[in-house]
Amino acid sequence: MSRPGFVLDVDERTPPLLVHSGESFRLEEFPLGARVVYPPESLPGVPDVDEAIEQALLNPIDSEPLPSLLRAGMRLTIAFDDLSLPLPPMRKPDIRQRIIEHVLEYAAAAGVDDVQLIAANALHRRMTPDELKAIVGERVFRSFFPDNLVNFDAEDRANLVHLGVTDKDEDVEISKRAAESDLLVYVNVNLVAMDGGWKSTAIGLASYNSLRHHHNSQTMVQSRSFMDHKHSQLHSSAWRMGRVLGEHVNVFQIETTLNNDAFPSQYGFLTKREWEWSLRDQALFLGAKRGIDILPGKQRRKLFQSMEAPYQVTGVSAGAVEPVHDQTLARVHRQQLVEVDGQSDVVVFGLPYLCPYNVNSVMNPILAACLGLGYFFNMYVGQPLVRKGGAVILHHPVPWEFSTLHHPSYVDFFEEVLSVSTDPKVIEQKFEEQYATDPWYVHLYRTSYAYHGVHPFYMWYWCAHALDHVGDVIWVGGDRRAVARMGMRSASTFADALEMASDTVGRAPSITYMHSPPHALAHVK
Amino acid sequence: MTSLVKDVKQLSRGWRWTHRPLPPKSAEPHHSFPPPSEFPTEWARSRPARAAREVILRVGLTPIVRNQTTLRVEGLDIFDDLDGPVIFIANHSSHLDTALLLTTLPIEWQRKVAVGAAADYFFDAWWRAVGSALAFATFPIERGGVGLSETPTRLLSEGWSLVMFPEGTRSPDGWTRRFRLGAAYLAHAAGVPVVPVGLVGSYAAMPRGRGWPKPGRPEVHVRYGRPVTVQTDEDARSFGTRISAASATLLDEDRSDWYGARRRAAAGETPSPAGPQVAGWRRVWESTASPRSGAGRAKAWR
Repeated sequence: MSRPGFVLDVDERTPPLLVHSGESFRLEEFPLGARVVYPPESLPGVPDVDEAIEQALLNPIDSEPLPSLLRAGMRLTIAFDDLSLPLPPMRKPDIRQRIIEHVLEYAAAAGVDDVQLIAANALHRRMTPDELKAIVGERVFRSFFPDNLVNFDAEDRANLVHLGVTDKDEDVEISKRAAESDLLVYVNVNLVAMDGGWKSTAIGLASYNSLRHHHNSQTMVQSRSFMDHKHSQLHSSAWRMGRVLGEHVNVFQIETTLNNDAFPSQYGFLTKREWEWSLRDQALFLGAKRGIDILPGKQRRKLFQSMEAPYQVTGVSAGAVEPVHDQTLARVHRQQLVEVDGQSDVVVFGLPYLCPYNVNSVMNPILAACLGLGYFFNMYVGQPLVRKGGAVILHHPVPWEFSTLHHPSYVDFFEEVLSVSTDPKVIEQKFEEQYATDPWYVHLYRTSYAYHGVHPFYMWYWCAHALDHVGDVIWVGGDRRAVARMGMRSASTFADALEMASDTVGRAPSITYMHSPPHALAHVK
Repeated sequence: MTSLVKDVKQLSRGWRWTHRPLPPKSAEPHHSFPPPSEFPTEWARSRPARAAREVILRVGLTPIVRNQTTLRVEGLDIFDDLDGPVIFIANHSSHLDTALLLTTLPIEWQRKVAVGAAADYFFDAWWRAVGSALAFATFPIERGGVGLSETPTRLLSEGWSLVMFPEGTRSPDGWTRRFRLGAAYLAHAAGVPVVPVGLVGSYAAMPRGRGWPKPGRPEVHVRYGRPVTVQTDEDARSFGTRISAASATLLDEDRSDWYGARRRAAAGETPSPAGPQVAGWRRVWESTASPRSGAGRAKAWR
C-alpha cells in the first residue's frame, strides 16, 4: 500500500534531510519548525502493461477503436515525445516503444504502408540514432530509420504547413506530414501535469512561428502554474491551437503515466523518507556520496547520465485528446499531489543533475535556473509555495560550463544577453528575433545536435513567473560569477543562505522545503 | 578524511545510532512502525551474568543503598514459607525503587528475579539496555500497548520471579497512581501469587531528576506484604482490584500500624494511596517529607 504524500514539521527528532545539488547530494539540517513536502510513495504499476495498452487502444475514450481507424492506403503518422521525457530516462523497454509496437501491429494487420514516425522535439535538439533507438526499440528503429523515423525539423519550411489562426490570432504552423495524415497517433509520457493534452501535438510538432505566441515572457508570467493547465496561459494557447489542429487532422492521443520509482535500487535511499533509512541506507548514502565526490567531473557526469529509472506504468489512456488528458491528470495527481496549508516566506529546492534539456549533456547555468525557477517553482496548483516577495533558496553548484554541441546559442545568450539585462521582457524585445533567425544557429539546429537559437530565451521566460513573484533568489554552493550574471546571489552554505534571505523575509521566516525528486505537486491552499 | 569523519558523525547523530530510532512527531501518522523487535536479554540470565550480577548487587549496590539511605525493611518473614515463582508488585516513584527491592530480597530470591522495565526508556539506548539487564536482570515491557511480549510468561514458567511496577511509570508527585492490570493478568494466567511491596520514602530520597539519593541518609522503608493468590472462579480484573487493595493496605500499615491498617481494610476505609485531592504542590510537599520510623510510636520503656 503506497502512503500518500504529507507535510513534515521539522522537530528535534528529524534527522538531516537529503538535498540534491547537481551531480551530488548532501544532508542538510533544517531549522525547527520548517515544513517539508514529501511526495506520495510510488503507486503500484499496472499488472500487465501490454494488456493495459491493448485495453486503451481497443476501448478508447470518445473515439473509434484504433483498428477501425486504420485502413490500407492511408497515411499514418506516429509522433512521440522526445528524450526530454521521462527523467531520468526509463529502463528499457521504454513505454513509447511498447505502445508504438502495438500500434504498428494493428497498422500492419490493416495493410498500412505509408507510416512515418516523428519525434516531436519542436525546437529541442535532434536526437542521435542511438537515442532514437533507445525510445522506439530495435525493431521499430530497424524497420523505419532513417527515412521514416525522423526528428521533427521546425526549420524545414517545405515540410511545415500553416493551418490557420486561433480566435486570438495565433498562428498554427506544424509538421506538414502530421497535419496532412489521415490519422495522427501521438504517444506521450506524462511525467508531470504540464505534459500531454494539446501541448503534445500543438507544441511538439510546431515551428517558431507558432511557438512564439505562447513561449514569450507575457504568457509565461501569466501561467500560474504550468502544472495547472486550466490556469496556465501557455496551455490555454496550446489548447486553442490544438482545436484548430483538430479541425484538420484526426488525432488519436495515447497518454501514459508513471509512478515515482525515479531511481535504481542502489540509490533507493533517494526516494525513502530519511527517518526510515536503515543502517544499510545510511551506508549506501555515505558510500555513494563519497564515491561521487571523489570522481573526476566527466566520470561523475557519465555515472549520473547512465542512470535509468525503474519506472512502472500506472496507466494508459487513448482516444480524443481532451478527455484522455483529464484521465491522465487524475492519475498524475494521485501519484504526485500533496495538500499544503498556506504559503511560506522561504521555499527551498534541491536541484538534481538532470532537467529536460541536458539529457546526455551539461546542465549550464541557464538550465539550472530554468529547472529551479521554471520547473520546481511551478510544481504547484492553487498558489506558489512561497509568498509574493518571499525568497527562493536553490541548491546547485551552477557551474559556468556549456555544451557547445548541444547549447551553442546558450553560450552567447549568457555572455551577450544576460550581461545586458536579466529582465525577460527586455531581452525578448531586444534580442529574441536575432537569435531565433540567426542562420548559424538554424544550421546547427538542423544538421547538428543543437537546441534552436531561441531556446535559451524560452528557458529564461520559464523563470519569468518566479522572477516576477519572489523577492530574492539565493543559490547554495553556486558559482558566484555565474549566479551574479543571472542577477542572483550565491551562498556558501544553507545557513548562510538563510542569513542572506533575512534581508528579504526577516529573521524568523517560515520555511518550506520541497523534497523532490521524485516529483511532488503541491496543492497550496 | 576529516570530511568523512564529519559525515559519519552527522549520520550517527541524526539517526540516533545509540538509541532506538524515532520518527518526527508529525510523521508518526504516516510512519509504518516495524513490528517491535525485543532487545535480547536471555544472556543476562545466563550463569556468568548471574554471577556478575550477584557481585554487582552484593558488593556494589547493597553497600551503597545502605550507606546512602537509612533503610528499614519489614515483612521478610513472608519468604519463610513462600515458594517461587511469584510476581512482586510495588508502588513506583523513584529509580531507587528497583535497587531497594533487589537489595532487600533474600539472597536465594535475588538470584532468580527479573525486573520488567519500560522498553522505551531502559531499552531506548543499547548501552542503557545492556547496563540495566546486567545489573538488574531487566527485560523490556512495551508501555504503548504495541504488543504483549511472551518473555514474562516464559520467565515465570522457567521459575524466575518477576518484579513489576503496575503504575507503568514513576509517580510525578510521590503518590501512587492507578495500577494497570498487566501484572494481574499475567499472574492470573500463570497461576502464580503476587507479593505486594510497599516502598515509602524513595520519592523523598531520590525523586525524578536525581541520579543519587539526597545527602543526609534519608529514611526509606521497604515493606513486603502477604502473597495474594488467585481464588477459584476469580477473574483477572477482580484479582487486580485485590492486588491494588493489598498494596494500599501495606502503605497504610507503614504510615500507622498493622492492626489498625487491617481494621480499616476490613471496614473498607483504607486511605487511598493516591493521596489527598489537594493542590499539586501540597501533594509534592507531603511526599517529599521523609518518613520517620520513630515518630508517634509508643516506647516500651517510658
